Amino acid sequence: MSDSSFRTSPDEEWADLMRQLQDQPQAQPRPFFYNRVTAQLSSRATAHRRGLPVWMLRPAYAALLGVIMLALSGDASALRVAPDVPSESSADFGQPQTPSPH
Amino acid sequence: MPVDSGEAALVAELQLGSEVAFRTLVARYQGRVYRTALSLLRSPEEAEDVAQEVFVEVYQTISRFRGEASLTTWLYRLATSRSLKTRRKAHAKKRFAYFTSLLGFDNDILHEPPDHAHPQALLEGRQQLQLLLDHIARLPDQQQVAFTLRHEQALSYDEIAAVLTTTVPAVESLLFRARQTLRKHVQPHFRHV
Repeated sequence: MSDSSFRTSPDEEWADLMRQLQDQPQAQPRPFFYNRVTAQLSSRATAHRRGLPVWMLRPAYAALLGVIMLALSGDASALRVAPDVPSESSADFGQPQTPSPH
Repeated sequence: MPVDSGEAALVAELQLGSEVAFRTLVARYQGRVYRTALSLLRSPEEAEDVAQEVFVEVYQTISRFRGEASLTTWLYRLATSRSLKTRRKAHAKKRFAYFTSLLGFDNDILHEPPDHAHPQALLEGRQQLQLLLDHIARLPDQQQVAFTLRHEQALSYDEIAAVLTTTVPAVESLLFRARQTLRKHVQPHFRHV
């Protein structure tokens, strides 16, 4: 006996697959979703009251901002190579020797 | 989508700052917003984050809502655009991690995140469904949104057109192309072949 009767056409298989897709269980967010939304709202409101933009609450941004502030404050100047400042003796170098009045 | 009177009343109360109205809004729409995000992201954690962001945005911007679209359309629009944004960020992160790995930097991000295979597909061993879901995730953004809203959220063509701010023929075209691509990839795995 042929098993062709059990075989289905590609269109039927596709339709069946679409049905499976649509009949998936109705997923829901975890319990107390509303509480988490309101918690996020209040944390944003607090940040707003402090005058801080939300992105500043992220530790990475805050750390980066700290580094930039430190660099701009001048504390990093010690790291800079000092320019060649002519010494007192070399400053006189090449100057015409004027005779001392004494 | 037509704006029903109940929805209009809810919007009016929200604009007055009613907490009860906000609680009603979240209770009424959280499932739809979450499922839309889950369909596009396939990650319960990311879908939850997107759903939270959608309701936070609604709360903060409801005063500017003028009712050009229905509340439901607006929520679907927020959910889909935020989901796509999240996905783009994840892809950019992955590309950056790959790039840095080529340069020889150690990078933890390169490790593949856990694969959130669809629970039903796992449970019943429906490889075809899983294969289909994998290929839906690879569709271009607009096609993916149209296909997901049609076949997973059961929205009408009119509703999808409103969410995507396009026309019904454009939605038909998006769906036609999406189905063509998906059938091409999934069909060879059908049992009869």
